[in-house]
Amino acid sequence: MIQLFGVSKKYGTFRDALIDVSFRIEPGEFVFLTGPSGAGKSTLLRLLFLEEPPTAGQIIVNGRNIGVLPQGQIPYLRRTMGVVFQDFKLIGRKTVFENIAFVQNVLGLSRVEQKRRAYHVLKRVGLHHLMNAYPNELSGGEQQRVAIARAIVNEPTVLLADEPTGNLDPVLAEEIMRLFVEINIRGTTVVVATHDLEMIRRTGKRTLTLERGHLHDPDRVRESAPIVREAPFLPAH
Amino acid sequence: MPRPRYVFGEAWSVARSSPRQTAAAITLIALALYVPGLLALVSHNLGRLAVTEADPTAVVLTLDAKADIHATASKLQTDARIKLVRIVGSDAAFERFRRAYPDLGAALADLKEAPFPPSIEVVLRPDAPAKTGAEIAAAARLWPGVESAESEEEFSRRFRDALALVRNAGLFLGAVLTLAAILSVASAVRLALDLHRDEVGIMRLMGATESAIRAPFWLYATVEGFVGGGLAVGLLYATYRFATHWLSRDPHPVLAVLWVGFLTLPTALLLPAAGAAAGLVGSLLSLGKKQTRRATRIA
Repeated sequence: MIQLFGVSKKYGTFRDALIDVSFRIEPGEFVFLTGPSGAGKSTLLRLLFLEEPPTAGQIIVNGRNIGVLPQGQIPYLRRTMGVVFQDFKLIGRKTVFENIAFVQNVLGLSRVEQKRRAYHVLKRVGLHHLMNAYPNELSGGEQQRVAIARAIVNEPTVLLADEPTGNLDPVLAEEIMRLFVEINIRGTTVVVATHDLEMIRRTGKRTLTLERGHLHDPDRVRESAPIVREAPFLPAH
Repeated sequence: MPRPRYVFGEAWSVARSSPRQTAAAITLIALALYVPGLLALVSHNLGRLAVTEADPTAVVLTLDAKADIHATASKLQTDARIKLVRIVGSDAAFERFRRAYPDLGAALADLKEAPFPPSIEVVLRPDAPAKTGAEIAAAARLWPGVESAESEEEFSRRFRDALALVRNAGLFLGAVLTLAAILSVASAVRLALDLHRDEVGIMRLMGATESAIRAPFWLYATVEGFVGGGLAVGLLYATYRFATHWLSRDPHPVLAVLWVGFLTLPTALLLPAAGAAAGLVGSLLSLGKKQTRRATRIA
């Protein structure tokens, strides 16, 4: 579950990227985050995957207040989340397999296990035949599918996607969105930031609309922030 | 901590992904360490000339081949100011020359007769007054069979003082150049690692710990510096061999005496060690800034 209580994010003295945002996303839910450019969608996602801390408020993910998480615990929490970006962010010097496997490598998984998991997720996205290819040998849609495979290889509880179809044509965008739906059906909570209203309409999932840092969500009532003291975060491995 | 196999594998992958930058950095490191290495080589050869014997020679008498060397030595031993009289025969002098200058001694090996005349070396007592050596040499010149008698006192003292000055200046200059070399190395490594800055950011977002991210780059930079230092040793040895070959063909009266030995093994190993240290420093400077939650935005 993801819960935000009165979260604000300010850059410098004058720029309010998010203002008093509160919402709740249930486990296994699929939510679109939408709004015009500069509304705060990417900022919100950056707070969720701990790239930046909030200026105010609390962010609770799976019962933990991630806004006050110790620095050393951040990598372990990130392993429970998958992240997909508009520009794919694949490592050019690594093959498709290596891009997916390197996080498992640092976890200490054996090479055999890494290959098994990588093959499994690549098969899910339809790219198991390209394990030894390099990112620059792939199309945009294939690169994004590799990025998605990398995001789900550790079976995250939450998958965050920041404009994942922004660089793709409508046909490929449709393919990618179908993948997200399939991932969601298997139980992963999915949050997709996009300004593609047509895609949102076709998918028919819940939508949170941001505008100038404010959240328009008449279906959710702001709850009072619970007092959550941070317990030690134990790594998955 | 990440597994060693992962660290080595990632470091090799980084090197393979940017071969030109790696080669350029290694070359720069080698050149940066070559200069202080050359200074060390010259200093090493100067040091070989320094006389550090417990009983330094104060006077050298060169005798005629037919002179009665023992009688002359006995005469010297009656002087109360003299501690020790050393007789150096022709063969002994030749052997001494060959030991001191092995490369040049080989050139004289084909001669049938030893080319050095017999000589007598005089060691003075520590409490002998100043200019004793000059007085003994002046008196000995008048003895039968003595072709020449020279006082080494003043020359030895001045040579040792000059050598100490040159070595200290060399050490200082060497330290400055080595520091400059280390900073150059660190900058070269840092530039090479900056190419991977985006990659480091991606790995952080994927949940890699700081040690897992940095360790391969530290190893890569350290090995890069080590190889560069090794290349510097190779360049120095090539320089030494070239100079030796050149001097043996056309011997210079001073350089031919100076240029006879390469660096000792411990000294030579200092260069790769310095390169490795500089590479590590460079990588620490490049990646040392800890991940902060306010400064991680990826372009």
